Amino acid sequence: MRLPYPALLAALGLAGALLFLASLLVGPAAIGLSDSLAALIHGQGEAVTLVMREVRLPRAILGAAIGAALGLSGALLQGLLRNPLAEPGLIGTSSSAALGAVLAIQTGVSAAFALALPLAALAGALASVAVLLLLSGPRGSTLTLILAGIGISSLATATTALILNLSPNPFAANEIIFWMMGSLADRSMLHVQLALPFLGLGAVLAIPAARSLDALTLGEDAAASMGVNLRRLRLLTVLSAALMVGAATAVAGAVGFVGLVVPHLLRRACDARPSRLLAASALGGAAVVLAADVAVRLIAPDRDLKLGVLTALVGAPFFLHLILRTRQEGL
Amino acid sequence: MRLVLDHLTVRRGPCPVLHDISLTLAEGEFVGLLGPNGAGKTTLLRAALGLLPAEGHSSVAALPPAARARAAAFLPQGREIAWPMPVETLVALGRPGRRPEDAAAVARAIDRLGLAPLRKRPATELSGGEQARVLLARALAQEAPLLLADEPTAGLDPEQQLAVMTLFAGLAAEGGTVLASLHDLGLAARHCTRLIVLDTGRIVADGAPRTVLTEALLAGTFGIRAHLSEGPEGLIFQPLGRVAR
Repeated sequence: MRLPYPALLAALGLAGALLFLASLLVGPAAIGLSDSLAALIHGQGEAVTLVMREVRLPRAILGAAIGAALGLSGALLQGLLRNPLAEPGLIGTSSSAALGAVLAIQTGVSAAFALALPLAALAGALASVAVLLLLSGPRGSTLTLILAGIGISSLATATTALILNLSPNPFAANEIIFWMMGSLADRSMLHVQLALPFLGLGAVLAIPAARSLDALTLGEDAAASMGVNLRRLRLLTVLSAALMVGAATAVAGAVGFVGLVVPHLLRRACDARPSRLLAASALGGAAVVLAADVAVRLIAPDRDLKLGVLTALVGAPFFLHLILRTRQEGL
Repeated sequence: MRLVLDHLTVRRGPCPVLHDISLTLAEGEFVGLLGPNGAGKTTLLRAALGLLPAEGHSSVAALPPAARARAAAFLPQGREIAWPMPVETLVALGRPGRRPEDAAAVARAIDRLGLAPLRKRPATELSGGEQARVLLARALAQEAPLLLADEPTAGLDPEQQLAVMTLFAGLAAEGGTVLASLHDLGLAARHCTRLIVLDTGRIVADGAPRTVLTEALLAGTFGIRAHLSEGPEGLIFQPLGRVAR
């Protein structure tokens, strides 16, 4: 039995809302359900209010927003590249954002002010998009886009490794490694304010691409003959995904496999229509990241288990399963 | 609607792969575009649709993209279906509007290709022949006055090949204009109202099947000799052997 599309969206939205609530309620400070919500809504500055408003609320908002961004950008890129194995990291934005962050940590800039690290990561992400668009060019094919993305990604990863390799400061190296694992712990409203405009702009850019991605199911020639402007579609999709992935990586580090797995899980429920998959993946991504972020707090309350480690641990076996199934279907 | 190409030239690097093509296709014509591999058939279709940069003029390519999609439907050679989309959804890609007449056009296309029993099936799980029909239905759903099809019969069984040719002839008889690249000269001779033969990017023959498929053209362009006769059901073409070109 298959859910009708509006029911699917409603179910995913409801799951997301419940997990958002759960994310607000889970943490080392044991606060009761009614107390925590009362403190969140009409708190007067006592410790509970502070915990709710300055620690848990930004964490829950970021979990939902970053999850949505990863799910949406994964669905966008899979639609554009017509490949279920495409994922947001493919265009090199996340590794470039990581490189920006690593440079900030290594040079000590990250200690200068609170947002120095995410800003540096964002700069890295934006630089990578510029290079990507220059390399793949206005007339570039999808293949050039993928190859350019792989090139940028490899270069950024290699540079990050070089910095780690030559780092004279073991503490900085340690910090870099932990940052790269991806986490939503200890994020503030400042992080929310930094990330949301980019995530929002990216999501808005995805809207006009939706219908064109449907037509692209039949290949570039068929889509173009149905009135799709391929150049505009590529630009919109890449910019949208890069803005979202860049901002997400900037504030949360690398949270892998969400953008790969979520669209894949929801594809058939959306009749395999790329346009429908966008909204569903955004909602699904939000639910998955919120759930994972609740899980890391429940599994190891005092060990700071990293979010990216958990998503990769669950996502990688799924990825292998995906490859196996793709092979069996002879695709 | 007519398709008018005027001095259409496509270059790949310095050398033209399509050389100064001028032609007019009228309403009611089912035109077979023939020629050996590499003659420029696909290039001509794509250039006519504005899918690749070309010199000269094409009446379809000159239209803005949305109007182009209303004027001409295109069935590309590669039968790509990226996602396991249900047949009905896929056919509706040709008609993405939400008005009742859009739904009616989709239903007509599904009926015309006999796809009703497969409506809910994911298109990627169908056989090659069924997929070809689904993609053709998608193009028909556009209900554009022009239909350009690149090797629509390739890889189909004889019954399906005949079904496609009969369908195209029917569309032309209803006042549409169909241009299809074909390798099967026998099918082309029987069903098309007009044949255009390309060789190394130039038109070498254009006219009624009987006048186009001459011994000299078959030998010179295709490197074959064949038996041609007028039967009760139209022109019969039977290839007999190769000849030195």
